[in-house]
Amino acid sequence: MEHVSNWLLLAPAGAFVVSAMLLFVIDSFDPESKHDTLLAAVTTAGAAVAMVISAALLLSGTADSGVELFGGQLVVDGMSLVFTFIFGSVTALVGLASADYIEDLPHKAEYYLLILLAATGMSLMASANSLAVVFVALELASLPSYALVAYLKTNRGSVEAALKYFLVGALSSSILAYGISLIYAATGSLLLPDVAAAAGEASELYTGVFGIGILMVLGGFAFKTASVPFHFWAPEAYEGAPAPVSAFLSSASKAAGFVVAFRVFVVAFPIDSVAGSVDWVLAFQVLAVLTMTLGNFAAATQENVKRMLAYSSIGHAGYVLIALAALTGLGDQGLVLGSGMLHLLVYGFMNTGAFLFVALAEYWNVGRTFRDYNGLGKEAPVACVAMTVFMFSLAGLPVGGGFLSKYFLIVGSVGAGVWWLGAVLAVNSALSLFYYSRVVKAMWIDEPDEPREIERYPTALYVAIVAAAVVTVALLPGILVFDSAAFDAAAALL
Amino acid sequence: MVLGAVPAEYYLVLSAAVFCVGIFGILTRENALIFLMSVELMLNAANINLIAFAFYWGNLTGQVFGLFVMALAAAEVAIGIGIILVLYRNFDSVDVTEATTLKW
Repeated sequence: MEHVSNWLLLAPAGAFVVSAMLLFVIDSFDPESKHDTLLAAVTTAGAAVAMVISAALLLSGTADSGVELFGGQLVVDGMSLVFTFIFGSVTALVGLASADYIEDLPHKAEYYLLILLAATGMSLMASANSLAVVFVALELASLPSYALVAYLKTNRGSVEAALKYFLVGALSSSILAYGISLIYAATGSLLLPDVAAAAGEASELYTGVFGIGILMVLGGFAFKTASVPFHFWAPEAYEGAPAPVSAFLSSASKAAGFVVAFRVFVVAFPIDSVAGSVDWVLAFQVLAVLTMTLGNFAAATQENVKRMLAYSSIGHAGYVLIALAALTGLGDQGLVLGSGMLHLLVYGFMNTGAFLFVALAEYWNVGRTFRDYNGLGKEAPVACVAMTVFMFSLAGLPVGGGFLSKYFLIVGSVGAGVWWLGAVLAVNSALSLFYYSRVVKAMWIDEPDEPREIERYPTALYVAIVAAAVVTVALLPGILVFDSAAFDAAAALL
Repeated sequence: MVLGAVPAEYYLVLSAAVFCVGIFGILTRENALIFLMSVELMLNAANINLIAFAFYWGNLTGQVFGLFVMALAAAEVAIGIGIILVLYRNFDSVDVTEATTLKW
């Protein structure tokens, strides 16, 4: 029996939808509104409500055992709430920062609307318990993202980025759809628990069809998480898109891809039953190493800060892939999966903050390369301190939560008997320190090539950056509050 | 179980062939509109599987999901056409290899 109170568990997704609808109403009464603060405020408030409700539901333990809705199509459990919390916080930061960034641009209501609709799709992805819902929710998250990347529609870079993002996205979503159809062919169901029940038989009788289906689904998720082999849209899309949109895509959209991958692979394809047709743990081990290494090496050779962050975000996708690659059945598996969630949580703040700093630099027109950032520390010390925190936390130094979440990933992979994954992570983190500290050196040590004056200090953008930095630092001790929630959520799933 | 006179494997072969035609189109053509058509072919290859195996398994899940896929394909094309339109306005062409202001 489904009680009314169970429907309240979908309140985080509801908050996104309601605020999106509210923007529709505001826009139809007052098109090309002069009240752009109102639009940003509705977006930020809706996202903040989603974030608070998720945290409250998570910490109250209401959904610990997992509550199924719509005949099992959706499930709300600890993991889905952790991720709606991430989506809520990233959307709130991005909504706040956009108030200044898109100040002089047209079609503001549409911009915020698309962000909220994409966030709705992501929160449904977090709850999807059927391959049909996975596909629909993934498209609901992707389609607004394509349009958002093309938001600066007279800017060649933005349009080109959107084209490449769309081309790769459309290709990978059709691969995903075909993969889902093969899994349906082999198992006769789309509900994840039913697929799992039929998986053993399917991998014996229809080894090829089932195995190819699983690999194609994996490919679809690799696109969403910007992992090898579908990563190459990411540097283009993040570089060409408006910086707040890059922040949104690289943090929230990536987390959404991972939550679906976690649930589908852990619930629907139990490794014991499907090992006969395809060993996806091995596939993820290969992808994790490739993604980490490629992302970090490519980031180290960049001259453009935004592009460096884009490659670094591919590298971080590789770190989180360890959470799936270390599901070997040994050691504390809840720790492995939970540490992936925690890394995405911390990453949601530190990476969003870093891209919002790039948004600030774009707002000031200081240029895009490391050289252009020279001497910014003297003119904008507060923002540069925040950026320093983001950079060192992304590298894994103990100034922010990034240190602990990487530590958990290493501990988890060692415990699961794949210590070499942890070693690759450590080596890559050391390499990443090189290119992250280039930004810090440019801001604080180098002298600018030519003197410049910064005239305006945008309040909302500053508030968003400082809030992200404060949370990143606070998560260093604060992650110990969240970690049991994440580990329990992961253990409940396994 | 057999679908009338046609065994289920034949549907898999058909859908795989349609899917490969789509992939081929994406890899070889430079026109963005042809790309959209190719994606459409690939999605419809998935639909063939879904419908055929809905009969095979005797449940409606596949057919219903097939409807969802069609609706989403339409939505995707709508967004795609929009992006191709702004591409044309900025680059005076719908050739996907022309847009190279960023590194690929």
